[in-house]
Amino acid sequence: MALTTAQTGLSRARRGVAPGGSGKPAKPVNRKSKLSSQTRKTFFWLLLPSVVLLVLIHGYPLVYAGVQATHDGSLIDTGEFVGLENFATVLASEAFWKAARFTLLFTIVGVFGSWAVGLGLALLLRTKIPAGGLFKVLLLLPWVVPIVVSSTAWNWLVGTPDSLVPSIFRNLGLGTPLFLADPTLAAITVMVFKVWVSFPFMMMMTSAALASVDTTVYEAASMDGATRFQQFSQITLPLIARSTYISWILMTIFCVNDFPTIYLLTGGGPVDATTSLVVLAYRTVFQDFQTGPGVAIAFLMTITLVVISVILYRQIRKSSVE
Amino acid sequence: MSAVLHAHPESGPTLGVASTGKPNRVLSEAGLRGRWWRFAAILAITAIVLVPIMVTVLLAFTPGPNSTATGLTFENISNVFSKTLAATWLQNSLITTLSTVIVAVAVAAPAGYVLSRGRSKAVSGYSLLLFVMQSLPIITSVVPLFILFAGMGLVDNLMGLTIIYVGSTMTVATWMMAAYFDSIPISLEEASWIDGCSVFGSFTKVVLRNSLPGILSTAIFAFLLAWNDYLVAIVFLRSSEIFTLPMGVQSFFQQNQTDWSGVMALAVIMMLPPIIVFATLNKYFSVGGIGGSLAGR
Repeated sequence: MALTTAQTGLSRARRGVAPGGSGKPAKPVNRKSKLSSQTRKTFFWLLLPSVVLLVLIHGYPLVYAGVQATHDGSLIDTGEFVGLENFATVLASEAFWKAARFTLLFTIVGVFGSWAVGLGLALLLRTKIPAGGLFKVLLLLPWVVPIVVSSTAWNWLVGTPDSLVPSIFRNLGLGTPLFLADPTLAAITVMVFKVWVSFPFMMMMTSAALASVDTTVYEAASMDGATRFQQFSQITLPLIARSTYISWILMTIFCVNDFPTIYLLTGGGPVDATTSLVVLAYRTVFQDFQTGPGVAIAFLMTITLVVISVILYRQIRKSSVE
Repeated sequence: MSAVLHAHPESGPTLGVASTGKPNRVLSEAGLRGRWWRFAAILAITAIVLVPIMVTVLLAFTPGPNSTATGLTFENISNVFSKTLAATWLQNSLITTLSTVIVAVAVAAPAGYVLSRGRSKAVSGYSLLLFVMQSLPIITSVVPLFILFAGMGLVDNLMGLTIIYVGSTMTVATWMMAAYFDSIPISLEEASWIDGCSVFGSFTKVVLRNSLPGILSTAIFAFLLAWNDYLVAIVFLRSSEIFTLPMGVQSFFQQNQTDWSGVMALAVIMMLPPIIVFATLNKYFSVGGIGGSLAGR
C-alpha cells in the first residue's frame, strides 16, 4: 500500500513537470503536489550528500566570509569587529574602482567579442563545407586546452620584445610593440586572449541554437525577396535570441569571475593596468595579507553576481513556462 | 570554475559539435563557389586560431638551446620527466581529477534525480540555491575554506583540493543531471514500480542505467574543471611534490631564465588528456554542459 502511495505521489509530482529536456513549451509546474512520506524519505537521502557539500563548500564559507569582511583580522586571526569599515576602505580606494572599471571593460569585450566571433564561425560552419566536422572540433581547442597551457604559449608569442609577434611587427616596420609591458597594449592583449579562449563556447551555444532553426522559413523568406542580411537580422537572430541571451549572461558570469586568464598572462600588471576585481581580491588577501578588505571586494562581486544570476534564473523560468 | 567553465544550449539539441547543422538548402544554393570560399575562410581562421597550440607542440619537440639533437626530438619530454617532478605532478593531477569526476557524479546524479522528479517548494528552492551558488566567485569561498582546511590538515593536500573541486562542480553538475533525467520518460519507472521496485530501485536500475550520455557529459565537465583549475591550486598547494600540473607548469616561470623547451614539453603533456577526452567523447557532451542544462530547465 505504501508503495502505491509512493507511486502516485511521484507520478503526480511528475505530471506537473515540464519535459525539461525537450525545450518545448512546458506545462505549468505544479509545485504544490505533496509527495508520499516514503518517497520523501528516499528523496531526502538522495539529496543529502549534495546538501552537505553545498553547506560545506558554499554555505559555510559565504557566512564566514561575511564575518571576515566585517573584521580587521588576518588569515590566522579573525580580529576585532569593525562593522562596514572594510567596505568603506575598499569603496574609497582608487585601486578598487580601477579594477572595477577594468572588470567591466574586460567583461563587455569578452562577452561581445567572443559572441561575435562565435556567431560568425557558427554561421560559416552551418552550411556544408569540406571537412566541416573536423574544423568544428579544431576550433574548440582554445576552450579545451587548459588556460595554463595557452597562457604559456601566448606568453612565448608576445611576452618579450624578441618574441615572435613583436619580431614580425618589427620586420614589417611597425615598431616593436611591448604587448605585456605597455599598460594599454597589455589590457588589449588580455582581452584578445579572453576572446580567443571563449569564442568556442559561444560557437557551440550558437551552433546548437542554429541547428534547431527550421530551414524552411528561409525558403519562404527568400521567395518573398528577403536579402541575406534581412534573413539574418529578422529571422536568424530573433529565433536564437533566447539562447543568445542566456549565453551572454553565462559569459558575463565567467568573465567577472575569471582569474587565470588575466593572472597567468600579466599577473594584473603592468602598473595594475589589467587588475580585475578577482585578481585584486586575490592579491589583497594572499600577497598584502589584508583579509578583511580582500574578502570585502569578493563580497561586493558576490552581490553583483547574485543579482545577475537571479535575473537569469527568472528569465529561464519564465521562458520555460511560456 | 573557473569553471565555469565553463557550458551549452537548449535542452534538446546536443552540442553542436557532433550534430553539425544539416546543410541549409537556401544557403547552399550559393553553389560551389560559395562553398569553397567558406572553406578557404574557415581554413585561414582555424590556422590563425591554432597558432598558439601549434607553437606549443612544435617547441615541445624541437631541441632546446643546450641540446645537440637535430630535427624533432622526444628529448624535452624525457628531460622534463627525468629532471623535474613532472611524473609526480601528472600523477597528482590524475588522482585529483579522477576522484573529482567520480565523486561529483555520485553526488550530482541522485540530487539531479530529486530535482527532476520531485517538485516541491523545498526542491525548487534548492534548485535556485544551486543556481546562485554556481555563479559566485570561488575566491569568496577560498579564503574561509583555507582557514577551515588548515585546521583540518587539508591544505597542501590532494584530498582537500578534491573536496573543493567536487563542491564547485556539483552545482552545475546537478543541473546537468536533472536536465538529462527530465528526458527519461517516467513511464519507464512506473513499469518498474508495478514489478515491485522502490523509488530508489527504479532510480538505480532504470534511470541510471539509461543515463550514460548524461553521466558522461557531467563527467567531462567535472574533468575539465578539475584538470584546468589554477586558482584553487595556487591557494591550497604549497610544496612542489603536491603540485598538480597547472602549478607544475607555472613553476617553470619562477626561475630567472624560463626553460621554454621544458615548459612546452610539460604543457603538451597537460593538454593531451582533455583533447583525448574531447576527441573520443565529444558526441556525449551536449552543449549541454552548463548552458544546455540551464537553458533546458
